[in-house]
Amino acid sequence: MSDISITAASTVTGADLPAARLGQRFGRLDQQSQLALLAVAALNINFDEFPRDRTGICLAASAGSLSTDVNYWNGRNGIGGPSPTLFAYTLPSAAVGEVAIHFRLTGPNLCFVGDDQIVLPEAADLIRRGEADACVCIFCEVVTADCGKMISAPAVASAHALFLKKGGGLHGWREFDRDMKALCALISPTKSAG
Amino acid sequence: MQISTHELKSKIIESLKLQDITPEQIDDDAPLFGTGLGLDSIDALELVVLLEKDYGIVIKDIEEGRPAFRSVRTLADFITAKCPQ
Repeated sequence: MSDISITAASTVTGADLPAARLGQRFGRLDQQSQLALLAVAALNINFDEFPRDRTGICLAASAGSLSTDVNYWNGRNGIGGPSPTLFAYTLPSAAVGEVAIHFRLTGPNLCFVGDDQIVLPEAADLIRRGEADACVCIFCEVVTADCGKMISAPAVASAHALFLKKGGGLHGWREFDRDMKALCALISPTKSAG
Repeated sequence: MQISTHELKSKIIESLKLQDITPEQIDDDAPLFGTGLGLDSIDALELVVLLEKDYGIVIKDIEEGRPAFRSVRTLADFITAKCPQ
């Protein structure tokens, strides 16, 4: 039996954003941070049940912050220059910070640029090393149409989230469980922020 | 040119992408930062850009701008006084 379990899963897409209501300041976040926040909210985890400083965050962003970087760069010739708010999101780890602030999670956090294969093993490692009791795992894929042309990739806007915690459960985590999208579909095929 | 506080509040909401708030809900004399509307330092920079984009006002000295950013009313008065048109 696994010593770590997955207790919740969620998937959200760009289509979920217009109806999202996560505070007055949600609108100023870049799309990647909005999706990450919404995916974690859709987990419906009561974070009060876990010590805030023992709950980690582990996020991977498939294209880093490229779409926001390009938006920021495109604003350089406008009057007044590019948006200062946007500048704050020209780092892939910005989404981690927004999740931490919104849910008041002060445990360890990690951010990776690339696919989702590393997220769950790293989160499990945090838990097994005793640095966290639980970990919010997020995989963001945000590529705007403009960026898609630059990197020859299709446009996409989605985030997948899983919640890992110490101890066994219905969905025990195994070392080869790395595909977050597949796990989200398997564990919670219909759950979405809507 | 007289700038109405209602117009300015609409621009602030749009510029800062504030959600679920209307101009009517913002007190003309409430502090913009900290308490009141609860804006932060990044919002301040965004407002500086708004002044330049929408009113042609460039704030080069932060000390000059500080009193103007106290509330919507002080900001509207500042724009009215500085507006080139």
